[in-house]
Amino acid sequence: MAEERRSRGGAGSKTRGSARGAEKGGPRRGMFRRRKVCKFCTDKVDYIDYKDAKMLLPFVPERAKILPRRISGVCAMHQRKLQTAIMRARQLALLPYSTD
Amino acid sequence: MSQVRQYELVYILSPDATDQEVADLHTQIEAIITRYQGELVKTENWGRRKLAFRIGKHREGTYVLEVFKGTGELTKELDRRLKVIDSVIRHLCVRVDEDLRLAERTRARRDAETQRRIARGLPVGGRSRRSDDDGGDDEPTDRAEV
Ligand SMILES: [Zn+2]
Repeated sequence: MAEERRSRGGAGSKTRGSARGAEKGGPRRGMFRRRKVCKFCTDKVDYIDYKDAKMLLPFVPERAKILPRRISGVCAMHQRKLQTAIMRARQLALLPYSTD
Repeated sequence: MSQVRQYELVYILSPDATDQEVADLHTQIEAIITRYQGELVKTENWGRRKLAFRIGKHREGTYVLEVFKGTGELTKELDRRLKVIDSVIRHLCVRVDEDLRLAERTRARRDAETQRRIARGLPVGGRSRRSDDDGGDDEPTDRAEV
């Protein structure tokens, strides 16, 4: 759905504008600066599997909190699915609740 | 009468459980599924794995996945049984049919869109994985269309 919206053209210029804005804002923490597109949309992931801990792990960094989508760039729909998957994986001790 | 759904059940056995005990539990689970007119679709033994955190005194456990079709009554019975088995240190049963169906529909729709674009001679977007230093956000193919 998000893909459809983006391909309508108008939205493209808007996102380019915001990218320029981020540049003006000075150097931010480098790692995720460029990542503005949802990884799952780009890779065409339709099902986020709670059993695939290796895939989920980058989204629970450092203190094992779920990475907010303002940083990861994940779209709302996929963030919701990701959240469910992470919570299930935690119940099965495939992912940590916190790393202490 | 409740509806038949597809579920995934994952349970973790204590690392002390022998191969025989793991096999016996699977047989038990299968028998319950059959008794409730369910159907075992797939079973996977993931073997012994390190747990992401301690459960009780355990730091690792043997993971087993059972994919099955059945009713809510069946899942309730499995849940009840797994709770009282001492060698099972954790289990989780989730319904997956709806999510899988949704994923399949999304995929089918995207494939249809790709076919449509090919038929109309339009560039097909998405497949190109752009490098990270590409400042642009949108698929270049979309701009070409305008
Ligand atoms: Zn997405």
